[in-house]
Amino acid sequence: MKEYTYMPEVKRVFQCTVPGGNIRQVFLIDGILQEKESEQNGVSLTSGPDGKGLQLRISGDHSENPIQIISVRSEDLPRPLEFYNTWELEPGAKAQIVVCDHTLREYLYQTVRFSNITLGEGAVLDLLFMQNEHGRSRYRLEVDAQLKKEARLDCHILSLYGGTIQNKVTVHLQESGAVCNLDGLYLADGEQNVTYDIEVRHNSGECNSNQLFKGILDEQAKARFDGIIYVAPHAQKTEAFQANHNLLLTRDAKITTLPQLEIYADDVKCSHGATIGSLDPLGLFYMRTRGIPLSEAKMLQQMAFVQDVLEHVRNGAIRSRLEKIVESRLRGEFTKCTHCTMHCC
Amino acid sequence: MLKINDLYVSIGDREILSGVTLEVKAGEIHAIMGPNGSGKSTLAAVLAGRETFTVTKGSAYFMGVDLLALPPEERARLGLFLGFQYPVEIPGLTSVNFMKAAVNEQRKYKHLPPLSAGEFLKLMREKMAVVEMDPAFVGRGVNVGFSGGEKKRNEIFQMAMLEPMLAILDETDSGLDVDALRVVANGVNKLKTKDNAFVVITHYQRLLDYIVPDIVHVLYKGRIIKSGSKELALEVENKGYDHIISGT
Repeated sequence: MKEYTYMPEVKRVFQCTVPGGNIRQVFLIDGILQEKESEQNGVSLTSGPDGKGLQLRISGDHSENPIQIISVRSEDLPRPLEFYNTWELEPGAKAQIVVCDHTLREYLYQTVRFSNITLGEGAVLDLLFMQNEHGRSRYRLEVDAQLKKEARLDCHILSLYGGTIQNKVTVHLQESGAVCNLDGLYLADGEQNVTYDIEVRHNSGECNSNQLFKGILDEQAKARFDGIIYVAPHAQKTEAFQANHNLLLTRDAKITTLPQLEIYADDVKCSHGATIGSLDPLGLFYMRTRGIPLSEAKMLQQMAFVQDVLEHVRNGAIRSRLEKIVESRLRGEFTKCTHCTMHCC
Repeated sequence: MLKINDLYVSIGDREILSGVTLEVKAGEIHAIMGPNGSGKSTLAAVLAGRETFTVTKGSAYFMGVDLLALPPEERARLGLFLGFQYPVEIPGLTSVNFMKAAVNEQRKYKHLPPLSAGEFLKLMREKMAVVEMDPAFVGRGVNVGFSGGEKKRNEIFQMAMLEPMLAILDETDSGLDVDALRVVANGVNKLKTKDNAFVVITHYQRLLDYIVPDIVHVLYKGRIIKSGSKELALEVENKGYDHIISGT
């Protein structure tokens, strides 16, 4: 492990703790793990082979003790950075992981984070990515998840701030009874550009997947949603659903959405759908006739739009914090957590 | 309280109201009747501030303020309420949060602090009782999955929460069965005081058995062609609009 000089400052700046439960914070600065490799109580935590990234191996039930991975870019002379995480849940293991990606300064950071995830038989992972950098950063997340028999992955991605945010998530449902719920929420304005490239591969029968992705685009922001559900020829009794809904607040905001189904089995239940719309003028008028000012009515309508994505976050304490962060993001305020002294964006 | 003088309203090139004059005083209930397309809902919407209509001539003063110069939210804060003919569904926004936003905006306008969570829930329970509303409704999306009757009941509940000076109820009776009609009408009667006023827009005399108007107006082709006591509503019911139209 490389000695890290920024650590005291970073710890002071990111004082956030995920409320509720016994949280374990792990810092990665510029991809480098900031603590000694360890193995205790069924959680093994090591650096990747190249000294970067985080390797986690989890056994047992840790669902009440979230692991928060705070990943910060901090260099004064930033160069493009790539690192690999490998997270493995052993059969029957349960875990909750919250990943918060930040930048310490407003430099042009370019980061590619790979996360290879393996869930053993019956393992359950609740995973949340908070993408909160700044308007000039370039961010790419690549998740590749393998789910064994009756494993369950709940993955929520919240794209709050970043110049360019690219998310590529591929989930392989390898054995029967595996369940995958993917959600995403992207809020973009200015010149921001967000892409989601989602592929759920039903390689085995009797698996279930649900996707709900929603976006609100303001000013000249652009987004692209490219989602595929693939059902292999032998993957009978598959249930797979995908929805992508978008709200455009200006004429200049732009969304391209490509929901796709590729089905080679014949006994399946699958659906997909995408919508693009604007705020509902009649709904706004209705709220205004109750004394709610136009700006607040717009805000309420946007919060109402994203509500079902937030409701999928099961941890109540994290969900209520996310609601506050999303609201302040939509109000155009800094989306920092209340305890944090950092202006993340 | 409300003074409308020679009001002309158009949508695009089409004139819908052609010189409406109406005065509503505190403590009064007015009923506006009229055949389909006569401009009843337009009058309600224009008074509430719907921007799709253009006022081409005339004026409307509410509590001495030029109503037509104000955005809808300011009209509401002055004490004007519109009960919608087709209440709008807002999925994802619970009635609780909707009403909390509305009540607290109104309190802010009156320089009062926002209600605490406890005070607010108490107020909601009290007002839900007025319209015999199931408390489970407030946790659901505004009007989402509500039947026609439940939506209208929800309008009266919102009116009870906001305690307006003047409530305009646009066909609150349409689509209601007899029991729902009674509940909605009782809600209005319970909220009636000598200081507030109601304008009830309806097609049928039936509602007026429950909410007894002081004055009945018949609106036809954008003008009030006849005004009278509650007996005018019975005349409409018995003889039809044609009779009144041909008699003027």
